[in-house]
This record gives sequence, C-alpha cells and structure tokens, in this order.
Amino acid sequence: MILVSVTLLAAAFLARSEQPLTPRASLSVATTLRAANEQGYARAIEPRDFRFPADHGPHPEFRTEWWYYTGNLETAEGRRFGFQLTFFRSALAPDMPARESAWATRQAWLAHFTVSDVNGGRFHSFERWSRGAIDLAGARAEPFRVWVKDWTAEAVGSQAPPMHLAASEGDVEIDLVFQPGKPPVLQGDRGLSRKSAEVGNASYYYSLTRMPAAGTVRLGGERFAVTGLAWMDREWSTSSLGRDQAGWDWFALQLSDGSELMLYRLRHQDGAADPASSGTVVAPTGDARHLRLSDFQIAGSGEWRSPRSGARYPAQWRVRIPSEELDLKVQPLLADQELDVSFRYWEGAVEITGTQRGRPIRGRGYVELTGYPTAEHR
Amino acid sequence: MSDSSTATFPSPLLWRSSLRYLVRHPWQFGLAVLGVALGVAVVVSIDLANVSARRAFTLSTEAVTGKATHQVVGGPGGLPDDAFRRLVVEAGIERAAPVVEDYVSIPGRDGQPSRTLHLLGVDPFSEGPFRAYLSGTPGDSVTDRASVDLGPLLTRPGAGVLPAATARELGLRVGDSFTVRAAGTERRVELTGTLEPANENTRRAVADLLVMDIAAAQELLGRVGRLDRIDLIIPEGAEGRRLLARAVAVLPAKAQVLAASGRTRTTEEMTRSFRLNLTALSLLALVCGLFLIYNTITFSVVQRRGLIGTLRALGVTRREVFALVLGEALVVALLGSAVGLGAGVLLGRGLVRLVTQTINDLYFVVSVRELTVPSATLLEGAALGIGATLLAALVPALEATQAPPRAVLSRSALEARLRQALPRASALGAGLLLLGGGLLALPGELLGMSFAGLFAVILGFALLAPVATVGLMRLLRRPLGALLGVLGKMAANGVVASLSRTAVAIAALVIAVSVTVGVGVMIASFRQTVVRWLEMSLQADVFVSAPTRAGGFSGAAIDPEVARRAAALAGVAQVNSIRRVEIPSPSSPVRLVVIGTTATGIRRSFELKDGRPDKAWPAFQDGGAVLVSEPFAHRTGVGRGAAVRLRTERGDRDFPVAGVYYDYASDRGIVLMSRRTYLRWWNDPSLSGFSLYLAPGADVDRVVELLRRTIGAERGLSIQSNRSLKKISLEIFDRTFLITGVLRLLAGFVAFIGVLSSLMALQLERARELGVLRANGMTPGQVWQLLTSQTGLMGLAAGLLSIPVGLTLAAIMIYVVNRRSFGWTIRMEVGPQILLEALALALAAAILAGLYPAFRMSRTSPALALREE
Repeated sequence: MILVSVTLLAAAFLARSEQPLTPRASLSVATTLRAANEQGYARAIEPRDFRFPADHGPHPEFRTEWWYYTGNLETAEGRRFGFQLTFFRSALAPDMPARESAWATRQAWLAHFTVSDVNGGRFHSFERWSRGAIDLAGARAEPFRVWVKDWTAEAVGSQAPPMHLAASEGDVEIDLVFQPGKPPVLQGDRGLSRKSAEVGNASYYYSLTRMPAAGTVRLGGERFAVTGLAWMDREWSTSSLGRDQAGWDWFALQLSDGSELMLYRLRHQDGAADPASSGTVVAPTGDARHLRLSDFQIAGSGEWRSPRSGARYPAQWRVRIPSEELDLKVQPLLADQELDVSFRYWEGAVEITGTQRGRPIRGRGYVELTGYPTAEHR
Repeated sequence: MSDSSTATFPSPLLWRSSLRYLVRHPWQFGLAVLGVALGVAVVVSIDLANVSARRAFTLSTEAVTGKATHQVVGGPGGLPDDAFRRLVVEAGIERAAPVVEDYVSIPGRDGQPSRTLHLLGVDPFSEGPFRAYLSGTPGDSVTDRASVDLGPLLTRPGAGVLPAATARELGLRVGDSFTVRAAGTERRVELTGTLEPANENTRRAVADLLVMDIAAAQELLGRVGRLDRIDLIIPEGAEGRRLLARAVAVLPAKAQVLAASGRTRTTEEMTRSFRLNLTALSLLALVCGLFLIYNTITFSVVQRRGLIGTLRALGVTRREVFALVLGEALVVALLGSAVGLGAGVLLGRGLVRLVTQTINDLYFVVSVRELTVPSATLLEGAALGIGATLLAALVPALEATQAPPRAVLSRSALEARLRQALPRASALGAGLLLLGGGLLALPGELLGMSFAGLFAVILGFALLAPVATVGLMRLLRRPLGALLGVLGKMAANGVVASLSRTAVAIAALVIAVSVTVGVGVMIASFRQTVVRWLEMSLQADVFVSAPTRAGGFSGAAIDPEVARRAAALAGVAQVNSIRRVEIPSPSSPVRLVVIGTTATGIRRSFELKDGRPDKAWPAFQDGGAVLVSEPFAHRTGVGRGAAVRLRTERGDRDFPVAGVYYDYASDRGIVLMSRRTYLRWWNDPSLSGFSLYLAPGADVDRVVELLRRTIGAERGLSIQSNRSLKKISLEIFDRTFLITGVLRLLAGFVAFIGVLSSLMALQLERARELGVLRANGMTPGQVWQLLTSQTGLMGLAAGLLSIPVGLTLAAIMIYVVNRRSFGWTIRMEVGPQILLEALALALAAAILAGLYPAFRMSRTSPALALREE
C-alpha cells in the first residue's frame, strides 16, 4: 500500500473542499494531479504475476506509481536519523500522439526527501517536480534506476538490491546502500491491495521490508557514517480511495525479533475505519500473513498540532494484534515530521516498545498520516 | 479693505485692479495661458509616452524574466535541450527553467489589425520559483488563479493558454483553436486554458503572452532540440559562486551565464539617447512658450506703468507691486499648467503610439496598451510650467518695481532705457553663445551637457536678436522708403522705436523658426545621408530574406540549399549571402552580420570611415579580422586596432578590428564578419538572407516572379527588388522620425501662438499713436498698410535672422547631439526649400498677427482711439 500518492492525497482533500489544496494555482503542477479522469488507463482488478526485476521498473499503463524508501539510521555513537526518499510517477494523459520535441511527455514526476535529525530535534523536508522527459526524471527496470533530477535510487550492480540511494538539497544529504534482506513481500491478495469495496479501487503492491542500510548522512558541514534498516514500498494503480474516505494511517514497523508489520487504516469522513483497511505480518523467515481489519486494533492518543497547517495529528498509538499476542506502543521520534511540501502530510520515524507473547519487544519504523484536516479546510 | 501699507501681499483692492486688467485684455491673457498650456502639454505628453513605453517594457520583461537572477544563453542556434538536463541533473542546480520564446502574430480578422503575442514556451515543472503568474508561488500574498489543466497543455500538440482578458478580446473560449503566424508559417493553437492574473500589474504584464509547454513551443516554432535560454535563480555570495562555477563546468563552450539584471539595463540604455532627445525637443517647445510668457507679462507691466506709478504714490510698496505682477503670472501659470496637464495626457495618448512605433522599429518589441500616468510626471509638468512662468515674469516684475511713485514712466523713457540696455543684453547674449559653445566643445559623451549647451546657444541668440533687428532695420530703411515711401520708412522706424516690444516678439519668432529650421535640416540631412548609404549598400538586384520578428535582429534561418537553388535560376549571375546573429555578451548582445560575397562585392557595398581599404578588406575576407560599424565603435569605444571579444562555439575569442565602416541601420552598432571567418568559429551554415545580382539584360520583375514561384513557399521568405527594398527602408526611416517631426511642429505652433499674441498686443497698444495718425489724415487703408508692413517687416527680420540661427542649431544637432547620442556621421545638407519655408513661415505668422489689429484700427474712429487713455 503506502497510500501516499499525491493523487490520493489531493483527492482526499479536494473531496472535502472546492478550493484547491494549496492556493498556488495557475499552471501549478500540483493542481493538475487532481484531474480524476481514469479512462484509458489499466486498472488493478485481479491478482497478477509479479516478475523481478521487471516489476521494479515503471508501469506507465497505470495512472500513478511510486517507489517509497524509508528507514531508521544511527551512527556508531548512537545518534539517530530517519529518512524518506520517495519517487511518484503520475500520468497526465493515458496516451499522446507522436511528437517531435524530446520534451513532450505524458508523465509527471514528483519526489519527496526528508531527514529526521532526532538528536538535533529537526525535520528537513524537500520536494522536486519534473517532467518525465530528456532524462530529467524516469524509471527503468534493468539496470534498475528511478530518478527525479539528481535524486536517485539505482542498482549497485546488475541486480537490485543492492540499491544505492542518493539525494541532497542544500546542506542536507543522504548517500546510502541497501543490501538485500528478505525477498519481496506481496501485500494484500497476492499483491492486489484493495482500498475500498469498489472493484478496481485497488493497487498492485509489494514491499522489501528489511534492507540493511549503510552510508552517510550529511547535515550542514557534518557528515555522519550510519547504519540501519530500510524499507521499500512499490505500488501502482489507477484509482484507489473511495469517495467517502478521508485519509489513512499507515504503519511500517520493523521489530527486534526479525519480523515486520505493515498496517493501514483507511479513515472515513466520520472517523470510522473502512473495512478495506488491512495489513501484513512478515515473519523472520520472510513468510507473510495477510491481516484484515478485524485482525488488528490501532488506537491513537494525544495530539500534536501542526504550526504550519493547523492539522491535529495523533501523538502516539497503541497497536494490538491479538492473533500474534502483540501489544505495541508506537511513538514518533520527533513530534513535527510534517512535510512542508505541495500536499502536506505527516510521515516520520517512530520508536516501538511493547510485548509479544508476554515478552518485551522493541522496534523502529515509519508512520504516515494523511487527510488530517488543516486549519483552513476544517 | 484692510490696511495694505504694511502687508507683504497686495490687498484685495490691488487684486481687483489686477483682475480687471486681465478681464479687459482677454486675448492677451488667453494666449498667455495657451502658451503655458502648450509648453506644459508637450513636455508632459513626451514624458508620459516615454514613461509608458518604458513601463510596458519593464513589465513585460519582468513577466518573461520572472525572478531569474541569471540567464544561460547560447548565441546562434540557442542551447541544446541537453544543456538543461546537465544543469539540473549533473550540476544539481535545482532552480532552473528552460525557455523557448518568440513573437507570433494572430492575423487580423474582419479588417482588424493583426495582434502580436509573445509566445513563451516553458516547462511548468520548473516554473515554480520563477514566474508567479504561471506557477503560483508559496508565500505570495496575492495568488493568481487560472483554469489550466496541465494534462492537455502538455500532451496535446499546439496547446496554449492566454490571459483570460486577452482570450475574451480575441473572442476565444477554452477548447477553441486559432491561427498564429510564426516564423513565416501559419500554425494552429488550441486554447486549453486561461490565466487569471490576480493583480493589475500582472494583468498588464501578461496581456500579450501566449504560454505553451516547451515541447509544443519548440514544435510550433520549428526549433525542436533547441532552447533560447535557461533562467536560473542563484543566491548571492559564496554558495552562488559555487553554483555558477558548477553550471559553467557542465555547459557547452558557446553558452554564457549572464546576470538577468543586465538584460533590462541594456534595453534601458539602448533607448536612453532616444528618450533624452525626445525630452530635449519637448523642452524646446517649453522654451518657445517662455518667450511668450515673458512677452505677455512685460507688456502688461508696460501698459500699466501709469497705474503702477499712481499706486506707488498712494503708498503701495515695491514688494506689493512685485507680488502683484508675480501673482498675475501665477494665475496664468496655474491655469496654463492645469490646461496643459489635461492636454498633455490627451496628447500623450497619441504620442505614445509614435514613440512605441519607433522603439519597435529600432530597438525591441514593446506593446503599450495603456498610458501610464504617474503623478510624478504630472507634478513635474506642473512645477515646470509654474516655475518657468514665474521665472519669465521675474524680469518684468522687477521692472515694475522700478517705476518711481507717480512719475509716469513714459514710453519713450522706457525705450531709451531699453536701448541703453541693448549693449548689455547683447553682451550677455554673446556670453551665452560662448558658454554654449564651450559646453558643446567639452569632450566626453555627456548628452545632458550637450543639451545645456544647445539651450545656452538658443538663449544667446535670443538676446542678440534685438541688436540684430536694429541693424537690419537700418539696412532696410532706405530700400523700404524707396519702395513704400514714407509709410515704409515709418514701418522700419516703428520697429526700432518700440523695440521693448518688437525685440521680444522677433526673438520669439527667431527661436521658433530656427528650431523648425534646425530640426528640419537635421532630419533632411540624415535622410539624405541614409539615402546615399542605401544606394551604396543595396547594390544587388534582388533581396531574399527570412522572416524577422518585429524588432528582432536575427530572425529565422534559411537553408543554404535555397540560395544554391536560386543561384541556378535563369538570369541570376551571382549570389551573396548574409547571416545576422546576436551573440550574447555580458554588457549587451553583439549584433553580428556575416557577409558571404566576393572581394569586389564587399568593397562596393561598404565605405570605410577608418582603415585603409587595401589592408582592411584582405584582413576581413581571409585574415579572420572583423569590421565594426561607426555606432558600434562609438558606443563601445572599440575601433580599428582593437579587438572584439565574442563567445564562439569553442569559447571566447578576440577578433581584431580591421576598420570602421559607415552604417545607419542600427544605433546599437554592428560587427561585420566574413562568412569564412564565421564558419571557422560557429557551426551554423544557415543564412538569414541572400542577394542576387542578375545577368545583364535580365528582367528584375521576371526574376522576382520566378523566385516567388520556386522558393517563395519556403517558410514565408520575403523577396524584394532593389527598388522596393529601398522604398521600404526609407519608409521605416520616415516612420522613426515621425515623432521628431511632430515635435518640431508642436514647437513651431507654440511659437506661432506667442508671436501672434505679442504682435497683436503690440499693435493694439498703438491705438493712441494710430489715432493721432488717423486724426492727422491717415486713411484706414494707409493704417492697414502701415501695420501689415510693420509686422511683415518684423516677420522678415525674424525669418532672415532665423536662417543662420537655425543652421547653427542644425549643426549642433548633427555634429554634437546626434554624434554623441548615436555615433552617426551625418553630412549636413541644406536645401533652399527649407530656408524659403522658414522665411515664409515667419512672414506668414507676422502678417497674420497684424491682420486683426489692422482691421480693428482701420475701423476705429480716431476720436475714440485718442480717448482711450
């Protein structure tokens, strides 16, 4: 899943308000992506065969697609960082006549890059837009590479992973290599992840849930050698959210026993969880088990109010999976990990404590919160 | 009725006497107001036209430059697409935006004129930080709204957006298609959305913008693979320098990174001389107006000398008299300025079109849809009108305070004083001439100083006019006596006897006529020079050129194959090629003209101002040297022996200058290069045009027809015979001088009004004198004859005097002002026609001015006239 698509976010906001999300209109690329015409695109209707490395590459017949990297890092001295590097592809039209100019394209690209400086108490977020032309931005399967301008994720050798991630803006930079961990996990029903009861409101979704990461983080003049764990989500679709869905809470949790947990709760306008909400437990062996809404409980508590958007986000969560006898407390490493980009949302590094079958368990992860009403849209 | 003896300002009673005087002399008063009004109107209207053109230009420049701090440009052929990718991906420069732009026109429908639009091809994804009206910028307090769907704009060929107001004016709705002419061909554009600028400034700035995706713009303009420029936002300081160094490292050798501010500054400097010249000419109109004020106020003082003497005897202080006269002048000034401001705004609406036309012909495209009326211009105009009027009234006001109590200063006494003052005035005039001459002779390029010199010379001549008049009348008395008998002598004597009045009138007329003579001779000489130059430089029989955009220099490119095909046609003996390109440079773009011709061909078409033909031409043809035009050498200071640095495709290179040649095509200057040299440094074999010499006996019109049929279809080539090209060139010349001609007329008109009013006042004042003459038996017919011959004499004097003065002014404008403004060598040519015109103008004005007083005097009974006082 990783439900963050600009499209979805925009749709969620726009469903509630006639005003554009950000009042930045004009030729603004941001507003474009709300165009909801799904005619002419492929749809995610039934499970498919995933093939690698081909499916690491783009699927331009679908309207939107993303490569989502998040992870928790630390230095040998224990200084903690979180990072996110995401590449979104969004088609502007299902097809285009043959054109002479190399600039002509029907693909728009967007990338988000964040670094959570936990010890420094600062969250850095950046955004880049580009057209998918003249090699400014794009994706390919072999050798694997996805990029928006000089932010890239690419295969280190002929096969990915290992993958090399590099992004910098001003004096914030990451340069990381991810080693293969577990094999790809197909989310949902053999990789078909439903987002509402309506047929076709679904995506194809797989994840690399545990990639050992090593490299450097640069902040200001300082460069830090770091190691940690990364997570990649890959998802492509043409439509996903239902009309009455407001947003979602998404969890990617890496636990100390070698297992991972992915959960998403789709929220209705009235706050109730959509029945399509689901999740996956990935055992240390790599075996995955699908979870339905009835299989887990997420209870948010507390509140953090964004000084920028005025949105009120939960400040921590209690996550329980009775079938696994899992009871977790999930806490943000920084309260303010809201991305100050075209579509504001909260996505940040979290710390996990709790118990599994009565024994203490720890973990790290990432949480994403979207569709929380901002002050002007409430 | 307060105690007035101690008051600084005159009492209401004094004001009433003043008012009564004004009311009883409505003609005089009205003409004085008109004089001020016209002067102010001309100055204000020129300023408004200048300001409006400049403002429109700044706005549209800002609209297309946006917030860019730097621009990457590539010279001929622009930059390759990949330069942008290298900048953002390899050099990591995030705030960069590619631009493809040109002017396109929408052909007029139903007899409407065509409309020029600025086609701006941009990458919407890069626009964010640059052009707020396109992207909306975070943090903008006012946001621009638009209904633009990026999907169609990017994915449909020929998709474009217009400002909503422009779309409405053109009767277009979203979804409609319209035809534009671009680079000589017609293309369809589909309106996929509209821009809704949030504020007035943006609305004005974008009014002529057609925004397209960069891909569609490249396709529409036939420039696939090429960018015109890349805009950058580079922070100041060390980080900025680091980014710039990284940018230069990845860019091709021919690319240059220029500061964006230079672009606006350059265009500002380009038109500075032109604007300054217009302002100076408008000030001439005001100077003519000043003489009128001076004359009117002097006259009013002289006419009331008895009254003023009486007032002084009654205890009115000198200061009060002074204030009274200045007060009257102030009324004239206020009224005149108010009328002048209103008329100036109206006049400005007309003039702004002429100014814009000239700027478009000579410098760059600017379209002014609205007259900008800054309050500063109005305040300045009012201050100038009021200040100048009070200044002109100062001398007569001081004169009035000199009237001793009760002692009626007789006319004869006044005239005697004036004659005594004559040597002083003449000395002052001579001094001013010397000062003016000194200012003009000052080395350097200070235009303001040249104009100050010009004005000093004019004022000097004005002060010398009385003594010259006296001399002239002495010379004329005898022949006039022989011709007209006693009346002729009387007329000549009368002019000298009432010099206090006639001198000012003649001086005003001299100035006015000499200004028309001067400007007229200057324009005629310039035109004649250009005609000769065209004869020389346009020698081929047929000229073929690629479509150029309005105000543009380089225009589209022609495949050299087209020229080869033309050369093969029957009747064509020889083909010469020309390539015009603009080479970017840090100061301002250099206009490079590349000539492909034979050694004899080039010697025939260009005349060297500096340089020996036997050395310069071989160096030019084969030695890699260039020639520069006279204005180029003047503007940049780079002449023979120096070198011009140009950014070639292989980096910077210094080209030695082998000589300076005469050229009147552009005041920005041109660098001339041989095709052989050009092809060595630029990989650009295309042409901007070519000219054909026909075989002896070939029919020009038939070859033109043949060319139109065979190669005419190629992207809108223009094919002209020698004759029609010369005609077009001269039409453009005449169009650019239209504004100067109009100013010349306006200055003449102001002066004419001045002369009319002063002569009429003068003759009306002579009612008593004429009454005496009538009582002594002079017939109405004789009165008529005396008056018209006297004003005619004054006209003749003014006409004769204005010829040397006018020629001096012309010489100053040709040899000093124009040279310093534009760097042109103009051969001064004086035709008899213009001098005869001057004489006729002066005579006509003077005789016309004498008609009404003569009519009145001849009708008035002598008794009534004698009772007048």
